[in-house]
Amino acid sequence: MTRTPPDSTTTQVKPPSSRVLMVGAGGIGCELLKNLVLCGFLNVDLVDLDTIDLSNLNRQFLFQKQHIGQPKAVVAAKAVRRFNSQAQVTAHHDNIKNPRFDVPWFRQFDLVLNALDNLEARRYVNRMCLIADRPLVESGTAGYLGQVTVIQRGRTECFDCHPKPTPQTFPICTIRSTPSAPIHCIVWAKDYLFNQLFGAVSQEDEEVESIGAIAAASTADNPSELEALHKENLSLKRLRGDMQSDDFAKRVFQKVFGDDINRLLTMDEMWATRQRPIPLNFDDYPQVLEDIEKCHAKDQQVWSVTECIVKFVTSSRHLAKRYQNIQSEESTGGSTMNRGLTFDKDDNDILDFVTATANLRSLVFHIEGKSRFDVKAMAGNIIPAIATTNAIIAGLITMQARHVLENRWDLCKTTYLAQGTTRPRLFYNETLARPSKNCGTCSVRYVEIAVDVARATLDDLLKLVRQHADVVQLGDDLGVEESGRLLYDPDFEDNTERTFADLQLTHGKLITVCAEEPLPNIWPLMFYIVEKSDVADPIQLVDPKQLAMPLYATKVSADATPTPKSTPATPATKRSASEPMEHQNVKAVKLNYDNGTLNQPIKNDESKVTATNVPSDSVITIEDDVSSTSQDIVIL
Amino acid sequence: MSGICKTRLMEERKQWRKDHPYGFYARPSRRDDGTLDMMKWQAGIPGKANTPWDKGVYKLVLLFPDEYPTKPPKCQFTPPLFHPNVYPSGTVCLSIINVDEDWKPGITIKQILLGIQDLLDNPNPNSPAQAEAYHLFKKSPEVYLKRVRQQANENIPA
Repeated sequence: MTRTPPDSTTTQVKPPSSRVLMVGAGGIGCELLKNLVLCGFLNVDLVDLDTIDLSNLNRQFLFQKQHIGQPKAVVAAKAVRRFNSQAQVTAHHDNIKNPRFDVPWFRQFDLVLNALDNLEARRYVNRMCLIADRPLVESGTAGYLGQVTVIQRGRTECFDCHPKPTPQTFPICTIRSTPSAPIHCIVWAKDYLFNQLFGAVSQEDEEVESIGAIAAASTADNPSELEALHKENLSLKRLRGDMQSDDFAKRVFQKVFGDDINRLLTMDEMWATRQRPIPLNFDDYPQVLEDIEKCHAKDQQVWSVTECIVKFVTSSRHLAKRYQNIQSEESTGGSTMNRGLTFDKDDNDILDFVTATANLRSLVFHIEGKSRFDVKAMAGNIIPAIATTNAIIAGLITMQARHVLENRWDLCKTTYLAQGTTRPRLFYNETLARPSKNCGTCSVRYVEIAVDVARATLDDLLKLVRQHADVVQLGDDLGVEESGRLLYDPDFEDNTERTFADLQLTHGKLITVCAEEPLPNIWPLMFYIVEKSDVADPIQLVDPKQLAMPLYATKVSADATPTPKSTPATPATKRSASEPMEHQNVKAVKLNYDNGTLNQPIKNDESKVTATNVPSDSVITIEDDVSSTSQDIVIL
Repeated sequence: MSGICKTRLMEERKQWRKDHPYGFYARPSRRDDGTLDMMKWQAGIPGKANTPWDKGVYKLVLLFPDEYPTKPPKCQFTPPLFHPNVYPSGTVCLSIINVDEDWKPGITIKQILLGIQDLLDNPNPNSPAQAEAYHLFKKSPEVYLKRVRQQANENIPA
């Protein structure tokens, strides 16, 4: 079935002739790609590194069962061809971070649209768009919530202007000795107990055992006893050796819910301000073994103690068997690697084991229990994906994309999709925020350099910076860094003679050059390497203007904007930016926009000033030195 | 690595080079490729005068996470130190470098190292981290002090 493409002449001319890059062909991506081709975007490049999984099919509607295992980008591009036969969707089954997608490549697009689900890729695309100076529509969803915003260099804040919440981690002592929330017990069950018993053998467990050892120490009075207790405390791993025995589950239970808790209890200091845990005893639950056959523990209800123990016993048995199978496979296969099971939220035995042990530990520490369903979400870090939310957000992205292409920045907004608040609204709009000062990602000067990496040395780069010292304004003492590697500073000059190739400074890498004594409002330089072997100089600036502080970044200082005292300013008049302005007796023109002002007044010998490269909504103040009047002109 | 993390570590390096407490050192560690690793610093903390820790300079590694300075660096004595609040792995247990307790992004490397220096002679018995030192500290202070002095002697810089 081929539909008639939308009549592009009645709407806008721009989308069909634009080139758009879309990153991500998942939940949001499928909806967005459909929107784009139906709205008349005819040239779309689509990048996604993923392949289609069964769990995608409920919402990523461009994919069907027969596509499982195939690249998302390729299948999605093919699917939307049926919606609009004129649309040229170029699929790239690749990681957007591949250096072949370099800045010149990004620059061929009018607009970039993110439909991503992870911070790392979003950060990366954000930075590439800043360097290439291309607008980016950024979006995300989580459950019923979502947001869309527009990012453009110099105009709006970027993705990194505000730190993002990082995945929560917990201090070791909270997990091992003093849990106070269900998640602490779930992390303990999943990351500690499961791994100790069924995981691959690792050496990372020193701290794990130390707490128990301390408790042991305070009860032991002679060194040999202390030693003995310490050894016993390391016995969880030894229990692995007894997996085939009938009472394996019971022994694990007695150790982790009995002995270990009793040891913790000997540390009185620890419980001075906390509720003391209550150890469990396996033999207090004799009915468990009878219940094994008839236990029908519900997925969405919190299990009873008995149900927990039954599930613990049965899942331990299954996991022990599976672990031993892996071990015997390895010994017959001649492998020396000591592999084990790894946590998988979709593995029923593992999820049963984690749910049961987490809830038993919660019981010991007087913490509320969680259902298996909840444990799955918490242990698997599941963020619910809802097709409707994705569709709404994709719609908003499409709207913002059109505003950007039409250069209607006044219409671009940050939009939040929120539900369940007391206010009767679905969307909340915010004006796009200005770039935040001192953002390490957008408050930098990106400078592209063409480099013959085999010839160019670090010293060549330093020379280049010093050669332009008056524009660069970073001072004499410099620091040079690349992705966490310090390459040079006044106390570390070892690498100056080494070549870029030797220092692994290759295509697409970013080198930061910063001042030892930074001046306020002078940003560090960030050099973007474009490898070229046929250049005269080992390092060449692609555009020397990039070295200077950008116009949009120059800040107002109070004394730099003298306001005429005698005559009040006439009301602002509105003009188009492209329209030349004529004014009598103009001696100086100041560009004031969004509280920013150009440091030096523009000297103008003729009576004509053409405002180009001035963002809309800017106010240009024309000060007439002769009559001491000034006039504000707002650029549309 | 986020931009903030990198900018901040460059700034910490500059500040430390300009001014640091006497007897301390802290610098990014050298990588195999001849550059310095901004995310992993080598540091040395001298024991305070008039304490059993005096004369020793105790070596540690500061490991900065990508989320620094939202999250604190992991501070690990190498080799592990005999001290009640140091884990057997060498990791220091101290509230100002615990994200759930008193860590604040404004805390500098200098403040961290001074804080750890202070901890040496003022162990916190409420958050024990290793059995041996904790046990001796609680039960036999003389043996504990003897071990501390012995350790100080073993850590006199060449």
